[in-house]
Amino acid sequence: MSDYLSATERETKEMLDSIGVKSLDELFEDVPADLKLKKLNLPAGKSQQETMEIMTALSQKNKVYDIILRGAGSYDHYIPSMVKNLSSRSEFITAYTPYQAEMSQGILQAIFEYQSMICDLTGMDVSNASVYNGANAAAEAMLMCCEKNRKTLVTFQNIRPDTLKVLKTYARRRGITVKVLPVPGGAVDLKALKCELGEETASVYIEQPNYFGLIENAEEIGKAAHEAGAKFVMGCNPIALAILKSPAECGADIAVGDAQPLGLPMAFGGPYVGYMACTNKEMRKLPGRIVGETCDHDGNRAYVLTLQAREQHIRREKAFSNICSNQAYCALVASMYMSAMGPDGMGEVAEACVSYAHYLADGLKGAGLKLKYHGDFFHEFVTESDIPADKILKALDKAGILGGLKLSKNEILWCATETLSKAAIDKAVDVVRRVK
Amino acid sequence: MNLIFEISEHGKRCATIRTPDVKAVKTDKKYLRAEKPALPEVSEVDFSRHYTALSRRAFGVDNGFYPLGSCTMKYNPKINEEVAALPGFTRVHPLQDEKTVQGSLEVMETLSGYLAEITGMDAVTLQPNAGAHGEYTGLLLIAAYHAARRDFKRTKVIVPDSAHGTNPASAVMAGFEIINVPSDEEKGVDLKALKKAVGRDTAALMLTNPTTLGLFEKNIKEISEIIHKAGGLLYYDGANLNAVMGVVRPGDMGFDVVHLNLHKTFSTPHGGGGPGSGPVGCKKALAPFLPDPRVEKTEKGYKFVYGKKSIGKVASFYGNFGVYVRALAYITALGAEGIKSAAQHAVLNANYLKANIEDLYPTEKGRHCMHEFVVSMQELKDKTGVSAMDIAKTMIDRGYHPPTMYFPLIIHEALMFEPTETENKRTLDEVIAALREIYEEAFKDPEYMKAAPHHAQIGRPDEVKAARQPVVRYIKN
Repeated sequence: MSDYLSATERETKEMLDSIGVKSLDELFEDVPADLKLKKLNLPAGKSQQETMEIMTALSQKNKVYDIILRGAGSYDHYIPSMVKNLSSRSEFITAYTPYQAEMSQGILQAIFEYQSMICDLTGMDVSNASVYNGANAAAEAMLMCCEKNRKTLVTFQNIRPDTLKVLKTYARRRGITVKVLPVPGGAVDLKALKCELGEETASVYIEQPNYFGLIENAEEIGKAAHEAGAKFVMGCNPIALAILKSPAECGADIAVGDAQPLGLPMAFGGPYVGYMACTNKEMRKLPGRIVGETCDHDGNRAYVLTLQAREQHIRREKAFSNICSNQAYCALVASMYMSAMGPDGMGEVAEACVSYAHYLADGLKGAGLKLKYHGDFFHEFVTESDIPADKILKALDKAGILGGLKLSKNEILWCATETLSKAAIDKAVDVVRRVK
Repeated sequence: MNLIFEISEHGKRCATIRTPDVKAVKTDKKYLRAEKPALPEVSEVDFSRHYTALSRRAFGVDNGFYPLGSCTMKYNPKINEEVAALPGFTRVHPLQDEKTVQGSLEVMETLSGYLAEITGMDAVTLQPNAGAHGEYTGLLLIAAYHAARRDFKRTKVIVPDSAHGTNPASAVMAGFEIINVPSDEEKGVDLKALKKAVGRDTAALMLTNPTTLGLFEKNIKEISEIIHKAGGLLYYDGANLNAVMGVVRPGDMGFDVVHLNLHKTFSTPHGGGGPGSGPVGCKKALAPFLPDPRVEKTEKGYKFVYGKKSIGKVASFYGNFGVYVRALAYITALGAEGIKSAAQHAVLNANYLKANIEDLYPTEKGRHCMHEFVVSMQELKDKTGVSAMDIAKTMIDRGYHPPTMYFPLIIHEALMFEPTETENKRTLDEVIAALREIYEEAFKDPEYMKAAPHHAQIGRPDEVKAARQPVVRYIKN
């Protein structure tokens, strides 16, 4: 057994004597005797070496693919060595929330820098220190926008299914209606949207690029939302924002999304990190921790957690949100990624995604698949074919390739990132071509 | 020190990627942003020095004593980080076919089973991403349970005045109204007040046991009876489970729903504020409402299952998977006896610290504390003007992280110490000596203490200025 305790038997005895008790059990005298547990039904503790062997064996029961053509909310990108190396410093990993500013300037400054980078990327005025993930960021934004007489969220069938599910969970017990509009052409239908907006609409939520990979005409959607007196919320892939119009340029009031593509591994879905940024006007409604700049009594620059009057530990039941822990460490990784890549590197990653995705789409077309939608796309797209999706994906799997995500019997959602190459895509296309 | 933006120089590059070897495709101009984002541009050496400097201005458990009450800042084993970084866990897409992720599913199923055993619950979901998120999820289960019984009048959640702020905030998010109940003289729930508060509108009582004062709620059986008799459910805030795991189980105390904090009790790191993980356990009657999906072990291997009555999803994919790997490694290493011994030593360390300072730092008399204890510095403040805050800031000068300050709200000038089981006696002895000196110093030179810290990265920051004139991002001059 390895238990990470450091007291020897002698020390334990000295401590018990100092307290004035004879045994460890005596310290639990307040626990009713009949409630006490005899023994936990768990395996015996293992040595460190055995623990490593057990966990390694578990990891080896997963299949790791060389070529990944699947996205749908989790993206395989190159993670720079310096990001992995510097983020693994234990001062970052083992620190608590920086409530004690005088000994946490490093964590506070890192969050301040993260907030600044998210603002740069989104064009927004204010960012919080992060929330759980992109889906939760969208849900928190929905709650931010609700007013007494405006309690409807309008969104579309082309947002991530997980996001939609989380929105519905958060809406249900708060009297919020979630209207989900169909998207026959894959992208938002502006005319149909305008018909659905009304005095009860609190916000309109779109994703950019949308779940099917298409780039939305976000500005027009934003205008329509604002004309109806509703807020406009955009959920954006942060890699795409390196080149696409920022949410601010599109008129968004709140920008949210999952920053997983910024240096975090796919890791079977988490931990990821939800980013949330908004205009100055919405700042005091923004949930979660926010770091602000100030000075100490000698006038030195200092960073602190600020605007805490919004938060649960001060306002309790009157708080805007219950959020306490966030994903600070993942936000640190994301900010390291943005620093390591810089504006040019991020742009190159985005452009590589676009180029490889189009090369893949052309290849698959050549192999007999059809593109389902006709709009401009970023790094994901949907195909349809007479050959069942299962058959195509199975053939790719045999070749060590994780194909796109099956959306229906004959539809597949594909993704390409800078991790691919011409050779990798040619290999995948060749496999698909042979499927009969 | 400089912000990374202030060392940025146009044209500097750090990480680079391979040039695509396919035809470059340009996105239509109408979609493109007017200017590149103003992200930092630094060289690799700038990058490494900047983040190393930031890390040196951070204070983690590896840096020193960290007695933050209610936060359980125990040691984060290195092996946990290594196993969570194994490619078999990190290079796996969440939407891979079930057959190709049997290892991940086994991690989730095994961990859920262990947590169910430790809490005495019948079923567990790992999905919530943090403690507060777990509270919210647990309360949604309670709402769904009452609704399924067509018992729609249960709109109120009872919360003791000593509760964590997340309790009432989560209950409101889950659509409930709050009733606060006071504490009795022994700092437990006032039974008389509780009896008055319960009724046909009671959905649940949220309770932390040990309480936020670090005391075991002796009347737990009576409380459970009062709530259940009224038709309500009992919710366990697992923030303080570290004191009693392996000794007594929430399920056996009468709780119906619990949330845990893997980042407190099960040694996963706090990371400067997250990611955490807030699994929720419940009794059989509430299991059908758990979030989708859950993992089940079948003859053909592990698979995801979806419930018809599920409350839906509370987070994307399956929650903070990487945190589960660490927690599973921890429980695997400790095993049945190690889990119990961790709780016992957490309580031992807290009582040892308490016994050696309580003549100067007054706390609840005549009882042993659990894994933490709360002292009130009101008397010292009356005599010297030195507050709990001043003591905390003086501890910083001595290289210790301060305890939790001004919580719970029902204690004046509160400091809450939680040394955890991984702290060693030598450190505790040093801290005891330091705290005793600090107490004397309050009489000798109160003004010096009121201006502490004197040797930290910064002096006390102007928080009023930060809130009144918010500067929350870097803007280039």
